[in-house]
Amino acid sequence: MLLLQTLRGAPNQSVLESSGPLADRVESLWWFAFATASIVYLATMGGLWWAAARARRRERQGEELPPDGERRMTRGVTIAVSATVVILLVFLITDLTVGRTLDPVPRKHPITVELTGKQWWWDVQYADTSAQGRVQTANEIHIPVGQPVLFLLNASDVIHSMWVPNLAGKKDLIPGYTQSMWFQADTAGDYRAQCAEFCGLQHAKMALHVIAEPQAKYEKWIDEQRKPAHTPTDSVADRGREVFLTGQCAMCHSITGTSAASHNGPDLTHLASRRTIAAGTLPNTRGALAGWIVDPQQVKPGTHMPPNQLAPQDLDALLTYLQSLK
Amino acid sequence: MARCRPDVSRSCVWALTSAKRMCGVLTLGVALIMAQACTREQTPERAHDPAVPAAPAMAGPRASVALDAEDGQWTMPAKSYSAARFSQLGEITADNVKSLRPAWSFSTSVLRGHEEPPIVVNNTMYVLTPYPNILYALDLTQPGAPKKWQYEPKPESAAQGVACCDVVNRGPSFADGKIVFNTLDNNVVAVDAATGNALWKTKVGDINTGETMTMAPLVVKGKVLVGNSGGEMGVRGWLKALDLASGKLLWTAYSTGPDSEVKIGSRFKAFYPKDRGKDLGVKSWPGEQWKIGGGTVWGWLSYDPQLNLVYYGTANPGPWNPDQRPGDNKWTSSLMARDPDTGDAVWAFQMSPHDLHDYDGVNESILLDVPWKGQTRKALLHPDRNGYVYLMDRSTGEVLSANPFVHITTSRQVNLANGSLEYVSEKEPEIGKVVRDICPASPGGKDWQPSSFSPRTGLVYIPHQNLCEDEEGLEANYIAGTPYVGMNVRMYEGPGGHRGELTAWDPIAARPAWKLTEKYPVWSGTLVTAGDVVFYGTMDGWFKAVDARNGKPLWQYRTGSGIIGQPVTYRGPDGKQYVAVMAGVGGWAGAIVAGNLDPRDSTAALGFAAAMKDLPSDTQKGGTLYVFALP
Amino acid sequence: MRRVFRGSGVLRASALIAITCTSLASLTSCKRETRRLRESPPSATPGGAVRVSSLQPGVAQDTTHARNLYEGNAYAVSEGQRLFNWYNCSGCHANGGGGMGPPLIDDEWIYGAGPEQIYTTIVQGRPNGMPSFAGKVPAQQVWQLVAYVRSLSGLNPASTRSARTEHMMYYPGSQALPMETSPKQAFRPPASEMP
Repeated sequence: MLLLQTLRGAPNQSVLESSGPLADRVESLWWFAFATASIVYLATMGGLWWAAARARRRERQGEELPPDGERRMTRGVTIAVSATVVILLVFLITDLTVGRTLDPVPRKHPITVELTGKQWWWDVQYADTSAQGRVQTANEIHIPVGQPVLFLLNASDVIHSMWVPNLAGKKDLIPGYTQSMWFQADTAGDYRAQCAEFCGLQHAKMALHVIAEPQAKYEKWIDEQRKPAHTPTDSVADRGREVFLTGQCAMCHSITGTSAASHNGPDLTHLASRRTIAAGTLPNTRGALAGWIVDPQQVKPGTHMPPNQLAPQDLDALLTYLQSLK
Repeated sequence: MARCRPDVSRSCVWALTSAKRMCGVLTLGVALIMAQACTREQTPERAHDPAVPAAPAMAGPRASVALDAEDGQWTMPAKSYSAARFSQLGEITADNVKSLRPAWSFSTSVLRGHEEPPIVVNNTMYVLTPYPNILYALDLTQPGAPKKWQYEPKPESAAQGVACCDVVNRGPSFADGKIVFNTLDNNVVAVDAATGNALWKTKVGDINTGETMTMAPLVVKGKVLVGNSGGEMGVRGWLKALDLASGKLLWTAYSTGPDSEVKIGSRFKAFYPKDRGKDLGVKSWPGEQWKIGGGTVWGWLSYDPQLNLVYYGTANPGPWNPDQRPGDNKWTSSLMARDPDTGDAVWAFQMSPHDLHDYDGVNESILLDVPWKGQTRKALLHPDRNGYVYLMDRSTGEVLSANPFVHITTSRQVNLANGSLEYVSEKEPEIGKVVRDICPASPGGKDWQPSSFSPRTGLVYIPHQNLCEDEEGLEANYIAGTPYVGMNVRMYEGPGGHRGELTAWDPIAARPAWKLTEKYPVWSGTLVTAGDVVFYGTMDGWFKAVDARNGKPLWQYRTGSGIIGQPVTYRGPDGKQYVAVMAGVGGWAGAIVAGNLDPRDSTAALGFAAAMKDLPSDTQKGGTLYVFALP
Repeated sequence: MRRVFRGSGVLRASALIAITCTSLASLTSCKRETRRLRESPPSATPGGAVRVSSLQPGVAQDTTHARNLYEGNAYAVSEGQRLFNWYNCSGCHANGGGGMGPPLIDDEWIYGAGPEQIYTTIVQGRPNGMPSFAGKVPAQQVWQLVAYVRSLSGLNPASTRSARTEHMMYYPGSQALPMETSPKQAFRPPASEMP
């Protein structure tokens, strides 16, 4: 039981804490496989122990091997092999059946999210029926509870893989080839997703938070995200905005409502509303943000974000501005 | 034939074969009927053999155009407000053009692409060069036309870095004793035509946002109408009106954004439902991308004084990569009709919604009066980059016909019921995917090079290219003042192996009357005269004259550099008819020579260099004005 | 026996040499692959005078080119390749063939091919259209760009050059360009007229 408890891992990133219909099936498949494998393991170990004990007894008592030993051995091996084949077949069939039930996208999926994997972060775009209703963000997905969400997966550099263990299985993100997956969250929560295909130096620090929340809360969030960035009213934040637009930042990042519209790095229009920065690496606090801006290679060696040498007052202004992007 | 509807294809075959055998009225009649039966035109390679005299359109009813009385001058690049580029001078005819010879020449001292026409007013010729936009005045009354004066606006040299397709200029305009032109660094300049003194200079754009100006202004009712270039740089397109007397800005009409800024108000009435709605210039874009969405106005304007409407097209949306701008992207790749007094839009029509292949809509609109189903319609003829020749009612924006003039794989047809272009989804570019055999290529069936129309033959002479391309979508990054394209492109010749064509288009039958093929894209404008001669130049330096009735080659002269300019004709002080053209290769098509590009990289010059690999061996840089006359 | 021993001594010596060579070789290859992620960037501006003209009045001073730390490092060159697209260099210079800007895969360098000359060209900009990237791109990345730009025309060691990223080859799947002869060069005007 202790072992099982360890297996569960963190509750917000675990197959054994399923929170949606897809993950439920994956979890029951896991339990079925676990139970079957456990029984097979116990039976095999038991058989081995029994055989060893009997051989020992025969040796001690000086018994001869029965004359039909050869035949009995053949029969034993045949039964064992057949049992293995049958068990594997059952595994295969259950696996395929579960896979098939996961695949079809429900006809009604009110939300479509275009997810693009990049080294080493996630570009998130909510595709609305109207062009104006689209939302661009990064590294954090909000979904309403009880609604299926369709994901269109692509990658812009190497192959990545999307895995929210609590909600669904894995699906690869392949450059130049759009794949789709869907899932639904039945309970509200902050679920952690992780890139599940080795994609370079910072593969480990490429996380994505899927936040399932009640419909009303989700609507409020997406309406907020649709708005252009807040224009600063105080002079410090205004100076920060200028630092952002005239310096290195605008070469890679976009903030809707300003002239910055580059897509090399994550969109920062509503940066302050996110929980983490650097793809789930650091909490979104002023200190962490400062450290990340000044020396990102310390936090995520190899990340494509270069160090920024800023005068202290400029950095301070920039942080104030970024923290105002609610 | 495959392009006709299956149910009518047999009759199409019959019509075409008979058209080849017979001449005269009968052919025209058959052709007229069949052109209605086939929704699509026959493929260009099956067009009439130029050697065979085609059905002279003059036999039946033909289109006409409003012309001013011929004064022997050439005061604006398009010759007249109707943009016909037709001269009523008839001294040079199809019969005597063979003895045409150079009279004099003039070096501009600039070696970039010379797309501009010289203009002729009051026995003075005005020659405007590409960047650095020097304006020369040449005295035509003196032998050899010596220089009277020159005016140097000294544009900012950094502007060259944001000019997408060579540092060209498409010409000056004359009005009210002033020569008006645009400089590459976004200044509109008015110069006294007599003295060469600058009268006013107004800055209307900023090179730091990627804006440049290359178009020729049109002066209408004391207003100078100018537009910007930079659809490849994430520029927001506009048309501005400046007061001719003072240079003061009167109004600005943007191509994207809210209705108030596009100047769509109570007078606006689009013909098709797809072009109706509030604030489409914002709603058809994601987020605030309309602010960097292109739709620049770098092409031609024409004007109907009776309706008091100015017509012009808007350029491609930015970036080229369509994945990054879901929506119709209004009003890019569109035709606009505006009241020049207020700038108010009266109608608009989007040719290529959510443009996929850089099909700008900036090409010229020739204002024709066309006999159409028993009545005369005030029409405009617009050969678009998407490969169709649009014939539209110019008072309402209704599409009368839209048939292809080049090989097209990117769309199936223009649906006349709702005006929409039916795209072929397999040819849609995508990030990280290579899509091949896209026809026409990004420069379109036809680019900026202006057509001409002769009321004598009723034909439109369309200079154009025959190119296809491969495309690979890339993620485009908007960094102000740098390119915003997001596409790897590689162009190559279209079916037939030739890269250029001159098509004589019959606007009533909506099909080509005849076609000539050229080795390189025909990147020069055409000129047609009352002597029934069509003049045009080729990129390997030949200046050619062909018979306007049947395309028979009549005369040619080899100039010092490839010709991409606009030929003009005028009557000299001695009463003789002269023909003039600039020779100086460049532009997008000639960038490989003008910019010394390396075609080992097939994406050089946005992919155009790949199609022009052999050009450097056929021509070299130049910048010379050639003037021809009969002996 | 002794002879055999002597022989094995020779063997042992040659083995030693072989091992030393191999490890030396692998050391150099390590250098090729080193990923300097957090070093202090090379000095922000190249030391000494950066000359764009080879003409000097009087007796010429020594003009050795600055050494780019990243020249022999494959990782830095491939980072430069990525940045070449990120910062829209490719928008004007295409994949090296040029467009709005001059080509970079040929052997003509208007403002010099030395690492320090390319560095200053990027940072300062040039009067006929090259924008100035000063304050927009950190020095370390400029040096990576310099290494990549030089690799386009084969000026850095072959072992560090990146593969061409351009997928628009003449035939699907082909990595060869069907250019039998080198392109004909037209006359190039003086630098003052070039971008």
